[in-house]
Amino acid sequence: MSAVISDERACAVRSSTARARVARRLTVEMIHRSGEGHYGGSLSPIDILAVLYESFVAPNGMDRVILSKGHGAPGYYGVLAERGMVALESLADYGRVGAALQGHPDMTTEPAIHFSTGSLGQGLSVGLGMALALRGRGRVWVILGDGECQEGQVWEAAMLAERLRLSNLIAIVDANKYQEWGFRHNCRATTPLRAAIEKWRAFGWHAAEVDGHDHDQLWSAFTQVSIGENGPAVLIANTIKGKGAALFESDPDRFHCTALTDEEYRTVLEELR
Amino acid sequence: MTVRLAAACVRKLIAAAACDPKLWVLDGDLADSYAGTEFAEQWPERFVMAGIAEQNMVSMAAGMAACGLKPWVFSFAAFLAYRAADQIRVSLAQTRMPVALVGSHAGGCGGRNGKTHQCVGDLALFGALPGMHVWTPCDAADTAFATEAILRTARPSYLRAPREGCPDLPGAPGSLRWLSEPSSNIIVANGLAAHWALEVRDELARRGVAVSVLHVAQFVPIPSALAAVIAEARRWFVIEDHVRHGGLTDILAQATHQLPHAWFGWPAAWTGGSGDACGLRALCGLDATTIANSIMRAGHWDHVR
Repeated sequence: MSAVISDERACAVRSSTARARVARRLTVEMIHRSGEGHYGGSLSPIDILAVLYESFVAPNGMDRVILSKGHGAPGYYGVLAERGMVALESLADYGRVGAALQGHPDMTTEPAIHFSTGSLGQGLSVGLGMALALRGRGRVWVILGDGECQEGQVWEAAMLAERLRLSNLIAIVDANKYQEWGFRHNCRATTPLRAAIEKWRAFGWHAAEVDGHDHDQLWSAFTQVSIGENGPAVLIANTIKGKGAALFESDPDRFHCTALTDEEYRTVLEELR
Repeated sequence: MTVRLAAACVRKLIAAAACDPKLWVLDGDLADSYAGTEFAEQWPERFVMAGIAEQNMVSMAAGMAACGLKPWVFSFAAFLAYRAADQIRVSLAQTRMPVALVGSHAGGCGGRNGKTHQCVGDLALFGALPGMHVWTPCDAADTAFATEAILRTARPSYLRAPREGCPDLPGAPGSLRWLSEPSSNIIVANGLAAHWALEVRDELARRGVAVSVLHVAQFVPIPSALAAVIAEARRWFVIEDHVRHGGLTDILAQATHQLPHAWFGWPAAWTGGSGDACGLRALCGLDATTIANSIMRAGHWDHVR
């Protein structure tokens, strides 16, 4: 039996790794075509999303996914498009007037989006409502940013989810250790969300850390939390802002939201090929 | 006998829940002040005391609605409108989720609670959100009518309910409702202010001036029949339990391209305060005598007695 699981896992990991590479390229092309955008925060959750859609969330199943850190939308669209869950052609219109793929995820324009996000801090609460409605029938996966966890509403949701013992609610924190500008320039903090594991555990959640770019680790962690026993679970996924391109990784402040020169674009695409 | 209108809504929902297993109530830990406890006793498996966390409660309701449930969210109007405004904008209005919000203790009469619990600008907020339906009932029958309409239309909705208990008023409930015989001199009012308007009507009658009172239960979309009524009126006045900005006067002006002969509501500069309804109204010039005096002048009825 364990050999079967091991084969399935190896196969899934190979597939999601290859898909994530394509999704990264689609993401960078999409943002550059539109002029500018959130390169860093779009690329950091791509491996999380790729593993999730590879093995844990069926396209027309009961499970729901919410990208609560909505500014990572291009990465989300890249993963969905690579899987054929949104039309590849729609990437060309990203962010334009009337486009299905808006600057932040919009459920009213693209049915593959399970809920609209963009104003930070609200996705976990929406997921909590979904988990209550789907109890015993489906799981809800909410991807939060570590900077986003500064919003008080996240912790309102954390408290209630624990009280309601919602085992089908799973949060994944894309902990890329950066946020837009403030904390690195205006205070002594070294990360947007200090002592993340301890905080979530103090709110009664099952909490574990995982390498957010290691597909094998992600696969194991998602399998573990899918069992869903006795309350909500959170994975602190350690990621790198701008993961996949040396240029982005070397200057996460600049690549929070910016434009690339044509030369930079060529260099990045070459690396992602 | 008077009844709090949020409680009237709860009682309607208790009955509706028997036929609709998707109907849920979420409460921001104020259930004992609007009879939410009665729903909790009748349908405990469909009642969530969501804690003192209005932002989470509103977004959570949106998630429930996205999975096919019909949540009704109860809190005080001030805490929904001002604490959870962004959640309502993003998770309900922009997504068109069929979630109903019931804001109790709305308006300027908050009793001893005072300024933090008063809410005299909520209609300006909700009226400006895309696709929201907004109701301002004046008695239990009106509230039942509005509750049924919200259940039927399945849109993001807001039902405004005052803290003051309200007695039953004359006339059949509806989006528009004559509370007295129609005439060409009209006081238009909504919600709790309809009760004030009837006091003013009686005061004016004592002075030999006859006016009618028209209640507007549906604030958005404003009933289309209103424009014709206003167009045919000889004189019309507005009394509202709200500030002027974004309230009934503003929305009527948009709908009719006319302004009333006089308007009465809470002063925009008032920061609020504690006190009984009579005292607060007198403080702000909203008692029946002061309003009647102003209407006599605005309506050029000074020569009458």
